[in-house]
Amino acid sequence: MSPLTSLTTEEEDRYEWQMDVRDFGRHGQQRLKAATVLISRIGGVGGTVALQLTAAGIGRLILAHGGNVRRNDLNRQTLMTTESIGRPRIESARLRLLELNPNVQIETVDQNIDEDNVRELVKRCDVVVSSAPLFSERLLMNREAVLQRKVLVDSAMYELEGQLTTVIPGKSPCLECLYPEPPPLWKRRFPVFSAVSSTAGSLAAMEVIKVVTGLGEPLAGRLLLFDLRDMRFRTLPISRSSDCARCGGVKAEKNTRPETESTG
Amino acid sequence: MRLRVQYTAQLRSATGRHEDLIELSEGDSIATLLSHLGEKYGDSVRSYLLTPAGRIQRSLLVIVNGIAHTAGHAESVLLHDHDCVEFLPPIGGG
Repeated sequence: MSPLTSLTTEEEDRYEWQMDVRDFGRHGQQRLKAATVLISRIGGVGGTVALQLTAAGIGRLILAHGGNVRRNDLNRQTLMTTESIGRPRIESARLRLLELNPNVQIETVDQNIDEDNVRELVKRCDVVVSSAPLFSERLLMNREAVLQRKVLVDSAMYELEGQLTTVIPGKSPCLECLYPEPPPLWKRRFPVFSAVSSTAGSLAAMEVIKVVTGLGEPLAGRLLLFDLRDMRFRTLPISRSSDCARCGGVKAEKNTRPETESTG
Repeated sequence: MRLRVQYTAQLRSATGRHEDLIELSEGDSIATLLSHLGEKYGDSVRSYLLTPAGRIQRSLLVIVNGIAHTAGHAESVLLHDHDCVEFLPPIGGG
């Protein structure tokens, strides 16, 4: 992470209510300000992660999502606007986020995560958020996060259900421990209400805040499952797979929180 | 033995059900249960559970009485009367 810096008067005022959160305070706010988060796709889930982190005062967001806004995105992709139909998603998102909080640095990448860009994008962030609708992309993010020892928050939904876990490389199961290969029957189009995808996104944003600031206990080694059909939330313990091709040989680092750079 | 078998996500859509009560022989394994469900529901469900070769789909998570088993370790898990088995196909909506 970047070195911690003091908050401006405007920031002190903007974040006043959340700095009252126990174990967060001004130091937590400074840590958020120093952090960079990469979000793979800013649809129903990832767009909500971006929105919540922007409101909370994250320092820098790198948003990767290709393509233009379509009318049938608008039931869930709440960073998009009707006016922006036909224009790049990433541009609509950037404008909406800066309207909410101009203090946040927004870097936009008008393409999806792929083999050509994943290494460099993960290298530049402190935490990776995986919220793409394709498993090939999620597993690619997972691979690179494990290789670079970056914490990855994976959040997904289907219909009224959702799930979330946080991967701390070498400490908790990675996505390949759970899913060694992309499921053959997953379809790119899935049934979705925004109220469900934004629930998954808000939970993921809270995980990022916790990982960056040390607040609470992240979902490392646990899988959160929710079903809004009957409003059931539960967490299950999950274990690393000793024969995982991705993280089987990776050992834990002592400090799992992103380190701040030395100010010299 | 009687098992409570629950489905999530795409499997819930494919079966049209939230859960089933299934009768098998005491000590049968998850592999036996998977075959049973494949026969009960046919290809539309079987393909979420099993590969064409009849092995468990590698991306399927199986929860037995609240304990998660990845596919690589689930097939041989033995089941007992009143066990609750949940099948979680991976979801990736984003």
